[in-house]
Amino acid sequence: MREIGQFVVDQADIDQSDLPDFCRKPTVVLGVGNILFGDDGFGCAVVDYLESHYPVPEAVCLLDAGTGVRKLLFTLCLSSARPQRLLILDAIDARRSPGEIFEVDPAEIPVAKLDDFSMHQLPTSNLLRELQETCGVEVRVLACQTGPLPEEISQGLSKAVSDAVPQAAEWLVREYFPRPARSPVKNTYATPCESAGGVV
Amino acid sequence: MAKTLVIQPVTRIEGHAKVTIQLNDAGNVDTARVNVIELRGFEKFCLGRPVEDLPRITPRICGVCPWSHHLASAKACDAVFGVEPPPAGKKLRELCNSIAYMEEHILHFYFLAGADFLLGPDADYSIRNVIGVLQAAPDIARKVVKVRHLCAKMLETLAGKSIHPQAAVPGGFSKPLAPAERDELRKQADDTLELAKFSIAFAKENVFPKYLDVVKSLGVITTGFIGTVKENGALNLYDGKLRLMAPNGSYQDFPYDRYTEFISEHIESWSYLKFPYAKQWGEGFSMDVDNPKGVYRANTLARINVCDFIDTPLAQAELEEFRAKFGRPAQLTLLYHWARLIELLYNAENTIRLLDDPEITSTETRVKCTPRAARGVGVTEAPRGTLIHDYTTDADGLITNVNLIVGTTHNNAPINMSVTQAAKSLIHDGKYDQGVLNKVEMSIRAYDPCLSCATHRLDGKMSVKLDIFDVEGKLLGSLAN
Repeated sequence: MREIGQFVVDQADIDQSDLPDFCRKPTVVLGVGNILFGDDGFGCAVVDYLESHYPVPEAVCLLDAGTGVRKLLFTLCLSSARPQRLLILDAIDARRSPGEIFEVDPAEIPVAKLDDFSMHQLPTSNLLRELQETCGVEVRVLACQTGPLPEEISQGLSKAVSDAVPQAAEWLVREYFPRPARSPVKNTYATPCESAGGVV
Repeated sequence: MAKTLVIQPVTRIEGHAKVTIQLNDAGNVDTARVNVIELRGFEKFCLGRPVEDLPRITPRICGVCPWSHHLASAKACDAVFGVEPPPAGKKLRELCNSIAYMEEHILHFYFLAGADFLLGPDADYSIRNVIGVLQAAPDIARKVVKVRHLCAKMLETLAGKSIHPQAAVPGGFSKPLAPAERDELRKQADDTLELAKFSIAFAKENVFPKYLDVVKSLGVITTGFIGTVKENGALNLYDGKLRLMAPNGSYQDFPYDRYTEFISEHIESWSYLKFPYAKQWGEGFSMDVDNPKGVYRANTLARINVCDFIDTPLAQAELEEFRAKFGRPAQLTLLYHWARLIELLYNAENTIRLLDDPEITSTETRVKCTPRAARGVGVTEAPRGTLIHDYTTDADGLITNVNLIVGTTHNNAPINMSVTQAAKSLIHDGKYDQGVLNKVEMSIRAYDPCLSCATHRLDGKMSVKLDIFDVEGKLLGSLAN
């Protein structure tokens, strides 16, 4: 039996084929936002960048959730299996410098502020807090500060936010992509590091 | 002393709304309004674009009912181009519609409305939510997760992806269904039917009898109804003709492209959401609960009311039982939940029927299209109500005008009326508690509103202005970005 928060789940009852990847895999990364609305597409752009620049480990579910993330979160809340770690990638206006990347901890959001959050600014903050506090999932939100509102809605990121995409991807890879185990290498020649007295 | 009560945000609905209840000096309800404070601006956003882009753009209007927008948009494109998809193309679209419906109706009944009925409307706010549902009914939660996941997998098989679909194209459907894929879907469809049967049986035994008093009293109003029916009067959620039913049960049928002859739109200063009304009735528009004018409702209860019958056996049997209890048209607002479960059953049966149709695996799924100057109207029944996409293009096929009436928009006036009725019946002498306020919210949740896509007019400006009034209506200040 494994305790998840307050709920005890008998693993023997869980048929893995009944569950989507974002419930089964230990690490889930969701890019959220609307790609038609300028910088709101930041989260989806990071997912796209990761898929085209990095091999995604088997243990990681990387998903462009677009504007449909609420349905996924509802399913996660009700699922008998959940990931250990959940990362949300999103764009918000927090009055910082355009393109600035920062973390938003759902647990630190003031209770009053929770009610103010639009479902289109952050994906259902209440559900994220519930996942973290009641269901034992480590939830982090990586946000990017949006640029100024344009005169007209259009697709495509502003330069500042576009420049932030590779940075966000690199951070994510360091934090969330498990490094492959390094197998010992047998050779009769010392590496430059060994010759200098260092450790391989 | 006069007081203003504000419920913000309204919880467990899709989108952003605020309920403002104005109490008079005696502590009784004077007025109640549902202020919709989202603004999406899609109608403006689409101008100048190639019309064939719209079935790809409109699913992102909000992401809650992407398939409905996707299909209505594809149908509008068919009409603009003057083409008729081949039978397999139409059936594949309808199949996707039925599967997406099941996912939506399960979401609403178990996730959004479920907390009210499984935990009770007076349960503490801290548990009257999704996690509370899981605690109270873990086995049901497990079934629900499994079947919703199945629906998503089925849509991926049919269309390549379930989030932000792109498979319906002008002229048909881009991807034929292979026989081996159909066989796999057919097995999965049996599981969805089992949950549909379980859901309505569970609700009839454990939920509706327990809350019948609430059903008979909360948010009750009298209105007309609108929905789609086939030529023979049978329920259909993908294609047919529109039926506008008056409160006395008489009705008129009309083709999609004549909707502007029957429906007009009223605008109020305190909401971004329009107020459609039945101008064909010739009585104007009023949201007076005791004497409404021109008000009609859409969504599940409306469709169950306007159809003459349902052409799948299990759902038809449920419809007969429903009508024996509540008559036709049924007016009790919380019956939306019951009607939703009848539709869930219909969609499960319809999915099986379509998969058993030999034509579903035909490789002729689309026809070619040529741009022209034209107007086209595409309509489907979204889970939340009749969805109208009305496009006009120039000779190059570029959009020159777009009008969208989404499901929830039709229910704007009825929602306001139900909230007024609920507030007036529950709040007296200035007394209210969390349970009372939740019941006011319940009267909105029954309509399963999606306010995210309901507000999409933009007059070309990006600025938002906020006016602050005191209880006498005096303007205290304004904020603008």
